[in-house]
Amino acid sequence: MGVQVQPVEVTLDNCIKCNICVTACPVTAVTDRFPGPKYEGPQAARFRHAGQPSPDLSVDYCSGCRVCNMVCPTGVKIAEINARARAFMVERGAFSWRARLRNNLLARSETIGKLGHPVAPLANALLNNPLARWAAHVVLGIDRRAPLPRLAPQRFTAWFQAHPKPSGATRQVVYFHGCSTEYYEPRVGRAAVRVLEANGFQVIVPPQNCCGLPLLSNGEFGAARAYHRSNVRKLVTFARQGHAIVGTSTSCTLTLKEEAPELLDAYDEEARLLAEHTFDLNEFLLTLAEEGTLRTDFQPVPLTAVYHPPCQYRAHRLGFPAVELLQLVPDLHISVSQVACCGIAGTYGFKREKYEIAMQVGRPLFDLVRQEGVPIVICDSETCRWQITHATGVPAVHPVEVLAVAYGHPPEGPLASLLGG
Amino acid sequence: MTQVEVLVIGAGLAGLVTAWQAAQGGRKVRLVAKGWGALFWHAGCVDVLGYYPLDAANAVSSPRQALAQLVREHPRHPYALVGIERIEAALSALQTLCEAANYPLHGSLDHNWLLPSAVGAFRPTCLAPETMTAGDLTRREPMVIVGFEHFRDFYPELVADNLLEQEVLARSVRLDLPALRDRRFVTAPLLADLFERADFRQQVAEALRPKLGSAARVGFPAVLGLRRAVEVKRDLEAMLGREVFEIPSLPPSVPGMRLHNILVEAIQRQGGEVLTGMEAVRADAANGQVQTVWTEAAARLKPHRARTFVLATGGLLGGGIVAEPDGTLREVIFGLPVEGPHERVQWFRLDFLTPAGHPVYSSGLAVDEHFRPVDADGAPVYTNLFAAGTTLAGGEVVRERSFDGVALATGYAVGTQLAAQAQEAA
Ligand code: SF4
Ligand code: SF4
Repeated sequence: MGVQVQPVEVTLDNCIKCNICVTACPVTAVTDRFPGPKYEGPQAARFRHAGQPSPDLSVDYCSGCRVCNMVCPTGVKIAEINARARAFMVERGAFSWRARLRNNLLARSETIGKLGHPVAPLANALLNNPLARWAAHVVLGIDRRAPLPRLAPQRFTAWFQAHPKPSGATRQVVYFHGCSTEYYEPRVGRAAVRVLEANGFQVIVPPQNCCGLPLLSNGEFGAARAYHRSNVRKLVTFARQGHAIVGTSTSCTLTLKEEAPELLDAYDEEARLLAEHTFDLNEFLLTLAEEGTLRTDFQPVPLTAVYHPPCQYRAHRLGFPAVELLQLVPDLHISVSQVACCGIAGTYGFKREKYEIAMQVGRPLFDLVRQEGVPIVICDSETCRWQITHATGVPAVHPVEVLAVAYGHPPEGPLASLLGG
Repeated sequence: MTQVEVLVIGAGLAGLVTAWQAAQGGRKVRLVAKGWGALFWHAGCVDVLGYYPLDAANAVSSPRQALAQLVREHPRHPYALVGIERIEAALSALQTLCEAANYPLHGSLDHNWLLPSAVGAFRPTCLAPETMTAGDLTRREPMVIVGFEHFRDFYPELVADNLLEQEVLARSVRLDLPALRDRRFVTAPLLADLFERADFRQQVAEALRPKLGSAARVGFPAVLGLRRAVEVKRDLEAMLGREVFEIPSLPPSVPGMRLHNILVEAIQRQGGEVLTGMEAVRADAANGQVQTVWTEAAARLKPHRARTFVLATGGLLGGGIVAEPDGTLREVIFGLPVEGPHERVQWFRLDFLTPAGHPVYSSGLAVDEHFRPVDADGAPVYTNLFAAGTTLAGGEVVRERSFDGVALATGYAVGTQLAAQAQEAA
């Protein structure tokens, strides 16, 4: 069912100055550098005009977590107003070349993956070398403590090509893997393919590229638009054929569904069609369950875990589909985190001037994980998983990895060490 | 798959209380809302009935007596549908819950407190948190009203001057604290956070002590901690050697947030879900029953199926009912018939301050004795749709000062009724 979308700028007139967003913003709660959503969003937006200086550069401290949008009683699209304000700053040259270089490096995980992958051992050694990290910290402003991922030995798509396709598939689905699954955590993609195949799907992995979200949240709208256009071109045929396009990275799917078309004003027919056919994997599995076509003969997975729904997941406004699915797995005990955000917010927590803020934002979550004493955390978003593990030392996996085990596949990664591989 | 039994729409006091009571009664509850609700800009007290009859010169001193009269004179008022016994049960259930959260609410139907408002007016209210009761204006002891430099949502001079004009011995003091001086923004949540720290309280007490003179009590803006307010208040009292109380400030209201948190956590403890950012936009029905409510989500609408549905989206003020350009009133999700003036000219009377009130303020949904919205013939529109809170017709919550009481009482009535149905079914 389609929806009517209210343009971002129009929503600022809905603001009734109730300050509810200010009470919820996790960034303003921990730093004085960011006055809060109401001030940066609907209020300051009135003073941002082409050709005039921006009223306040502090808007760059907005992490884009969208917690404010979720609590605003009048539907002001505060996070989007802030994202556009940042793009406006980029356009006007308000950032130093150094900051832009750093932001672009962080935001182009696909390029980094492509370049780094052929020389993965070297790249990994470099990324983990204290001296190199120190240099990046000082010269570029990438915090030396931030949880940079490691390149995996085999890319997801290389595995997928070699993976024998099951016979007897009755339906088809398209998988959007995202950059992180392709280069850093292909085990998430393997689990997704296995879970979809277990439900009788032939999985199609068409050519695709970065969703563009890291660029959007760094105000680099031009480059983001190119990425989004290219994805639309590559994927719209599948949408036209009525195929669902499912993703395991919640921020990629949110970008295809909403962030990119909304921020870039790219609601053309093709982008809309792609958005309407894009699903978060859990959301998709839950729809199958509701139709009665999800296999639920799950094997026990004896684990206790904290499940943290990332802020970008909540922003899909679907509730907690992962919780509903995981509750079907015997012997799996999860406590659900109510913490709004882990702090990392994509590339935010990697930046030198924001690292501490991000760690403080996530503190209630880290405390919860430690207090529960769980051996593992389940979380849908990759950067959140890295942040949680970085802060607590507790490994983290995607919900689909647990489901793959429950369908009888041997556990991989952190689950292998816990459940015996 | 989790089978939702009760879907509550709206996260104001009525929606939260309904969800809490239904969940407590063993039902699987999901609450969906566009955003957080009215509690964030309320005083954090429970106003049951402040003024009745509406043209009376004085505030109500015994809500019980005034309620008896109101129920007699207005049989279609939401309070008449709930009945005094259930109103009392609702108050006591909330008191028990808050007591368990170390945040006692004091008071009863026999007596209204008179407490200072943010502008220094007399504010009648039925239940007040322990952090506010020392502000009782029927007591004579002199008070000092404290404000903070850099905090722009509370004006101690305004409060004190107005109180003095009403013969309450009050004067104001402003503190310029080092802890706030180099901050760029001082908001109520920030102060609440600071007040939970012993070193900040120490700083406040030291700055304040020399300025207290003969004052017997000290009024602060209502920012004395979000989670441990009573502890904070007692600690300040010990340090100042005087009674301490809170006065509501401009929104966001910290005392409102405390009640909000207590209720949300109570729902979650009972296995209920509380989801925001999910605006209900339409519903499907068949055979006189609501089947599905659709909420706005990224790129699509999300369906919610349930056995019963509760509408607690507020009235004209809350956005549950909107006015069309021609003046017709429309309930936004189900398109339920709204009782009230249907042409703009009938909204208001000619005299602005007319004691009879303006018709538009008592508009809302007419319901049967089970709180199901009814059609023109008095028959329920849907057999499984209930309504609670200020979306109901027949009250005049602003003038009566009954906003919280109506929300609490009707939410309680609907929630307990749904809980009882679950027990019957089991
Ligand atoms: S998106 Fe997050 S960080 Fe930005 S204003 Fe909203 S709540 Fe605050
Ligand atoms: S929550 Fe929404 S309406 Fe309230 S101040 Fe923030 S933006 Fe404005």
